[in-house]
Amino acid sequence: MSEIEALGSDIAAAAAPARSPWRRYEPTILGAGGIVLLLAVWEALPRLVTLSAGTKLFFTTPSHVVGTLWEMFATGSIWSPLGVSAGAFALGLGIAIVVALPLGVLLGRSATLSALLDPFITAFNATPRLVFLPLLLLWFGLGLWSKVMIVFIGALFPILINTYEGVRNADRVLINVVRAFGATEWGIARLVVVPNALPYIVVGLRLAIGRAVLGVVVAEFFGSEDGLGVVMVRAASRFQVDVVFAGLIVFAALSLLMTGLVKLLEDRLSRWRPQHVNAS
Amino acid sequence: MADIAAPVPVVRASFVARHRRALLGCLAVVAFLAAWQAMFLVVPFNPLFITKPSLMLAALLDMLQTSELVDALLASGAPFCFGLAAAVVIGVALGIVMGWRTRVGYALDPLLTVFYASPLVALAPLVVVFFGVGLFAKTMIVFLLAVFPFIFNACAGTRAVDRLLIDVVRSLGGAERDLYVKVIVPSVLPYIVAAARIAVGRALIGVLVGEFFAASEGIGYAIARFGDLFALDRMFACILVIMVIAVALTEGIRWAERAAFPWRIGQ
Repeated sequence: MSEIEALGSDIAAAAAPARSPWRRYEPTILGAGGIVLLLAVWEALPRLVTLSAGTKLFFTTPSHVVGTLWEMFATGSIWSPLGVSAGAFALGLGIAIVVALPLGVLLGRSATLSALLDPFITAFNATPRLVFLPLLLLWFGLGLWSKVMIVFIGALFPILINTYEGVRNADRVLINVVRAFGATEWGIARLVVVPNALPYIVVGLRLAIGRAVLGVVVAEFFGSEDGLGVVMVRAASRFQVDVVFAGLIVFAALSLLMTGLVKLLEDRLSRWRPQHVNAS
Repeated sequence: MADIAAPVPVVRASFVARHRRALLGCLAVVAFLAAWQAMFLVVPFNPLFITKPSLMLAALLDMLQTSELVDALLASGAPFCFGLAAAVVIGVALGIVMGWRTRVGYALDPLLTVFYASPLVALAPLVVVFFGVGLFAKTMIVFLLAVFPFIFNACAGTRAVDRLLIDVVRSLGGAERDLYVKVIVPSVLPYIVAAARIAVGRALIGVLVGEFFAASEGIGYAIARFGDLFALDRMFACILVIMVIAVALTEGIRWAERAAFPWRIGQ
């Protein structure tokens, strides 16, 4: 019982205007504290407990990881693999956007077309795209294009499905009004359907970025000669655990950066909206 | 499409109209397979580059008869089930604590969000280095990928428990048990099932990553090996099997959601 009351009172406190600075900053302080605590324990662990020689081989500390990361940037050794990975990411995501947006609008406007393509979309969306990797390696080789294709397949479906949902949710009355004033299908799409679907599209884009980063990592792990993922796999097989974590941090930072950019784009694009529409 | 439906009797026309989406979907799949098969009447067929649906079907039947496929699926199924089960138990427990105890939620939320946002598949080589090749390493990868949806959804579900309903049950004299059975579980369970839908997809990725990386058995290993051997008919058959399993799992959970929590449709 007491737990339920505690939950209720805390929610009430969060909803009420903050009374003390502690109340207002409590989530931030506790959140930062959680991360700092984990890092501190991790850092302190090898100093408090003597690790066996075998474990030491696999072990690293946050300070080592940061040092390695700093060194990779300082010597510039990170730029070339990072550039290769970022190129595959950008190309795959770009093609996915170019294909998925018009296709999503088309599917949302045509019930027949969406019924025809629905089984394929469901199947490819549910299947982990990793299964296609060996096939794509056969078809496109160990280079840039098999990576681009994996990123493309991963990023295509979130954008496509969300665009489709957004288009389907467009206000029928508005469409009829615009049509009554003589708009063509292109005009309907430009004036009503796409602006209405924008919040959905942005959510799809956010999902797609996560999947695209994952696609780059996976593709480089299993079939590639160049890129940050390759650097990580080679480091892991040489027990350079700090390099693996440094790569992970770079990928996570890229992912967060891109998601942040999409958030900015969303704010800019929905400025005209009377109230904030939450489509997630 | 209306032209096709017009000449048939009224009863069947209404059947066609009612199941129009499903029929069109089946039609598209059949047409796709037929076009794929027929394509090689015009285009020269290169078995090292692509396969035909007929060869794929033959390979599938062959693998079923030799029990090769069943063995591979069983080998992959074990880490999938163990990892997912561990993810449910630990993820739901942690998520409920985070939702219940607001301060625990504050403390862990940013940390877990960072983990969730980072491509955890990147840790797969480390997991293999730490735990070796085998069932445990694969289970760990599956668990790592599948646990986060459960944590976040159980947390959101616990936070969404309606305080008013709790008060109502209490003031009408409900026992602690009624509180759980009538309010808390019905409120949290839909979130957990929704999490399961996401987690199943991630768990499949985990199995495949683990098996591509380091394994000597399993369906992912089979796909990678047939790819290396240029046995494209068998590789396509395995890919098809995974597709069917993936669709069955996600659509099955979606169906269960609709059947079990009809009040949540449209959310």
